[in-house]
Amino acid sequence: MLKGWWWKFGGAFIFLYVLIGGMTIPLRPGITSVQPSNAKTGENILLDITGYNTHFDQAKNIRAWLKLDSTHAINALKTNAEGPNHLQMEFQIPETAPDGNEVYPLHLIIDNEIDGAFILPNAVFVSRSTDSLMFNPNEWTNGKMDKFHNYTGIQFPYRNILNETIRNTFFHVALWFAMFILLLYGVYYSIRYLRSGNFDNDRLASSYTIVAILYGSLGILTGSVWAKFTWNTFWTNDVKLNMTAIALLIYFAYLILRGIQYDQDKRARLAAIYNIFAFIALIPLVFVIPRLQDSLHPGNGGNPALGGEDLDNTLRMFFYPSIIALFLIGKWMAEILTRYERLKDQYFIKSK
Amino acid sequence: MNRIKEIFLKELRVEFRQKYTLGGIFLFSATVVFLIYKVFNTVTELEWSILLWIITMFSALNAIVKSFSQEKKGTYLYYYSLFDPIELIIGKLIYNTLFIFLLFAAILLFMSLFLGFPVKDTELFFGASFLGIFGLSTILTFISLISTSDQTGSTLMSVLSIPLILPIMLLLLKTTAVSLRLITDTSIDQDVLLLAAIDAIMLGTVIILFPSLWRS
Repeated sequence: MLKGWWWKFGGAFIFLYVLIGGMTIPLRPGITSVQPSNAKTGENILLDITGYNTHFDQAKNIRAWLKLDSTHAINALKTNAEGPNHLQMEFQIPETAPDGNEVYPLHLIIDNEIDGAFILPNAVFVSRSTDSLMFNPNEWTNGKMDKFHNYTGIQFPYRNILNETIRNTFFHVALWFAMFILLLYGVYYSIRYLRSGNFDNDRLASSYTIVAILYGSLGILTGSVWAKFTWNTFWTNDVKLNMTAIALLIYFAYLILRGIQYDQDKRARLAAIYNIFAFIALIPLVFVIPRLQDSLHPGNGGNPALGGEDLDNTLRMFFYPSIIALFLIGKWMAEILTRYERLKDQYFIKSK
Repeated sequence: MNRIKEIFLKELRVEFRQKYTLGGIFLFSATVVFLIYKVFNTVTELEWSILLWIITMFSALNAIVKSFSQEKKGTYLYYYSLFDPIELIIGKLIYNTLFIFLLFAAILLFMSLFLGFPVKDTELFFGASFLGIFGLSTILTFISLISTSDQTGSTLMSVLSIPLILPIMLLLLKTTAVSLRLITDTSIDQDVLLLAAIDAIMLGTVIILFPSLWRS
């Protein structure tokens, strides 16, 4: 299927597209912080709002709500834009509060005609000052939320902790996907070697596995840098991290096995068998154990997996091409490595 | 079935003919336990569970490293003509599993002698331990065959096998911690099931791959 040279340039071209597009497309407007972040019932508060990629000073029609739930919200009384990313708003928190909770969170929604609508969940925490008043829904319905503006154009979603690092999805996540495809190729050629005894299959298997190990190491590195910015540490006791570390150890052992000076036939056979064994040992490590335990990663412990809001269509425009591009580049690298090994073996046999 | 029994009995005879290796392995574990007793004097339950499995793991490594290297090459050629490889590996696996379990029981005995026996849920403890030890012996037996080589010795064996047995060790440590009531986990059955699943996957892989390895 992948014959000739076109797919190599295809891989490089798609990766260039991912690199340029993924790095230059701006994020959607969002709210970075709100000061003060707590209030009392019945209080009149002045919120200092810091936005990101917003155009508060150019927008003519800024509306804002503090939302309790889907039917209860209050309107901003006054809005005052002090810059493109800075806004001051006045809110009157109602006297009455929903029953049950001493403290309840309010979500801040801002809408204008340039940036569209965006939300900061749990922006303000309100604690009740008097618990004698019954909940009066009428006080909460003056902010009718309708006629939201929609932002048109391609922008990546704004996520509060991720911010700009959401672009790492194209590299960190895609590297793991590409690594798995390459490992599968390696196992495929290992099986073919065991069946045919053709050394070329052994060279291919080892090249694919080596490139996959490179991708795995890069995946750990990109993930580590990402974790530093989002979880504030390079390494956590997260189950996925530990299982990946074990998986990499298994494959580093494969490299050691290949480095031993057996005769060629024995080395190829042992490496092929170990490669298949290691790949099967990897399946519970990567696909089963992490799913049984809580993890900070998306898709575990109640976090949403791929899809949902974290991977929207604009991210998909670069995420899937990135997997394809990384796989094609990896295949290219593996083939260069195979050709190098082939030439080395030929030269070695001739010089003897 | 009969031939699997023959292989099993043969392994047993070979083992008892070389009493020094057998005694050496048991003495090794006894010495390590005693050393730990002298160093720590008293251990907490957490340390007890960790030490138990670390000692078991390294004793098992030492015991199985020679699984395929204790006999001469010519003998293997003879076996090759005599047995089906699948029968041979099953016989070996049964023998090695029982051997490591015996080793584990000995270590447990020494540890309870010196450091006490804090296990509360014995059913879970021994059940999970047996499953884990079966997985350990499967992986170690297979890797010992891969790493049989005159020049590398046991280094390659530990390098190749320790990452592979890590998931089993982690599950064993967890089930042990639960059986010691160090942590509570209502879904510990899931972990035991996972242990059994890993065993089954490994056993299947070994049975599929062993014939092609055996040919060399």
